[in-house]
Amino acid sequence: MVSGALVFQSLVLGVLLGGLYALLAAGLTLYFGVMRVVMIAHSAFLILAAYLAWYFHRETGLDPLLSLPITVPLFFACGVAIQRLLLARLRPATRTMMSVLLTFSIALVIEGALGTVFTGTQRRLQLPYSGASLELFGARVAVVKLAAFAMAAAAMLALYLVMTRTRFGHALRATIQHPEAAQLVGIQTARVAGYGFGLGLATAAIGGTALALDSTIYPSLHWRWIGPLMAIIVVGGLGSVVGTAIAAMVLGMAMSLLQIPLGTTWAQTVFYLALFATLAVRPQGFFGGRLAKRF
Amino acid sequence: MPSGSEPRRSAPALRPILRLAAIAVGAALILSFPAIAGNPYMVTVGIGILNYAVLATAWNFVGGFTGYISLGHGALSGLGAYATALLVTVAGLPSFAALLVAAALVAALAIPIGAAALRVRGASFVIVSIALVLILVLVFQSWESLTGGSRGLVVPRPFPALHRAEHHRVFFFLFAGLLALALAAWWLIDRSRFGLGLKAIREDEDKSEALGIPTFTYKLVVFVVSAALTALGGGLYALWFGDLDPVFQFSVLNGSTVVLMALLGGVRHLFGPMLGALVVGAGLEYAKLEYGDTPLHLVATGLVLGVVVMVMPDGVIPALSSLVRRLFGPREASIREVTAAELLEGRRRAPPPPPEPAPPRDDAAEVSR
Repeated sequence: MVSGALVFQSLVLGVLLGGLYALLAAGLTLYFGVMRVVMIAHSAFLILAAYLAWYFHRETGLDPLLSLPITVPLFFACGVAIQRLLLARLRPATRTMMSVLLTFSIALVIEGALGTVFTGTQRRLQLPYSGASLELFGARVAVVKLAAFAMAAAAMLALYLVMTRTRFGHALRATIQHPEAAQLVGIQTARVAGYGFGLGLATAAIGGTALALDSTIYPSLHWRWIGPLMAIIVVGGLGSVVGTAIAAMVLGMAMSLLQIPLGTTWAQTVFYLALFATLAVRPQGFFGGRLAKRF
Repeated sequence: MPSGSEPRRSAPALRPILRLAAIAVGAALILSFPAIAGNPYMVTVGIGILNYAVLATAWNFVGGFTGYISLGHGALSGLGAYATALLVTVAGLPSFAALLVAAALVAALAIPIGAAALRVRGASFVIVSIALVLILVLVFQSWESLTGGSRGLVVPRPFPALHRAEHHRVFFFLFAGLLALALAAWWLIDRSRFGLGLKAIREDEDKSEALGIPTFTYKLVVFVVSAALTALGGGLYALWFGDLDPVFQFSVLNGSTVVLMALLGGVRHLFGPMLGALVVGAGLEYAKLEYGDTPLHLVATGLVLGVVVMVMPDGVIPALSSLVRRLFGPREASIREVTAAELLEGRRRAPPPPPEPAPPRDDAAEVSR
């Protein structure tokens, strides 16, 4: 019999995991909104950021969180460069398909480079507070998991504020909603799309650092992430940030709960089952708006 | 498209003969390879390349005709391999009967998968194709009682009496036969009304739907055909290699290698994927021999794929042939490059065409009036 405490513990862990998923899927959904591309390399950049955080800690001995001021701008610049130099130059007619191959090739290069530089050995951050945990209404939660969730939540909030409160955020949302109309009112959509891409990749920098805090990393880990993330953005409705966040929370909790009876590996299939079910029943996603219907 | 456009300059009767001769020489070269190769290792390399050629040609049924890029064909070939192996070991079917049944099973499974993936356009198809590989590697690794998990699954050899070199030789010809089958099927579809409809989907799905093409059915049918051929390739590989591991069978990397081959060779050409398989397959084998299995081959594959996508998304064959055309000989336009004015002039010179020519031409003529 499964005890109530165990279920509650799983729920809490599910929420914490869902928060990280939500942040990363928000990045993916942003790319899709801006350019209608599926960015396969998102999770590869996630692992890259995790490695950078780990490397930063190993070299300097400082807290890996302090690597953020370096990685976030770096990833932002990378995102702008990828959009402006590569994706924007693909033929518009075949962009959706070709961008998948292009970002896939970026993912391969990152995975191969990580394997070459850091070898395939599994790495794990050892921090003073790695083993610490908190009691939360009877559930034991590791401090690092809480820290990761707090980072994800803060980043999501920052993303939300940028999108809704700033001039740039308005321009970005206008570009996502209707590029031609946005151009007509004087928004430089090409530049805004580039910055939007940078913003998406910056979420990967934050997510990667959060990931490095509480899990073992290795170069091919990104395959474990891209599947669930893609499932989340389809279930949430391609292009809808709020839908993505809800889907991430629901699926994260579902996986966490299913781990009790099924074990870790089988529980992961919940993402794919949700993906197929969504496409069979409601292809535009459960929370998707106008944008998703175009696909 | 070479099969569609009529040669204008060269003597009309000469081109098909030349083409047939080239095909005959190519086939003779392939079939005599085991005799020329000398050692069994070279034959195994040849089998590897033929296997890639089969997979790339099978992939090209979807990728080339409809323009939908699937990164998940590794899942279909892996399913074919495991289904064949399990039908032999568990159900006790004879090897080649198992191969055919496995292909039929995978084709049947491809119907719901394709229906889910193709209902919506573009992005979702790619997502489903990758998800398929990721879910299957999970399932086949975890379900140890049936698949042997990471320990692998041993497939009994179909010809226990043959010694190793003979075994390779026989399978070389079997793979060559399967490749011929795939090429013939692609050629037939390319020339059919069905193929025309698929290409219309590739060019503009909305317009082709408006013209009355049952786009969903067409896409699904060609996806199932592609899945069946891919499963045959995977199953034959299982019978030849005799040992299956989920990580190698269900790999997105393998699926993307096949895409790279097809794209490099040229997805609009019958022999494009085969030539791509020859170049990339030989390159991969050489890299393995020379540098061993390092993560650098990922970097190299990624870079080549990126360059192909950015620089010549139509493949090497069109890139080269357009270069040749620019350097030698007059410009020969394909259907899409004929302007309305040229068409009008052509019509004035020639008697008017019969009432039902190919739709796109008619369309353009309508506009020019």
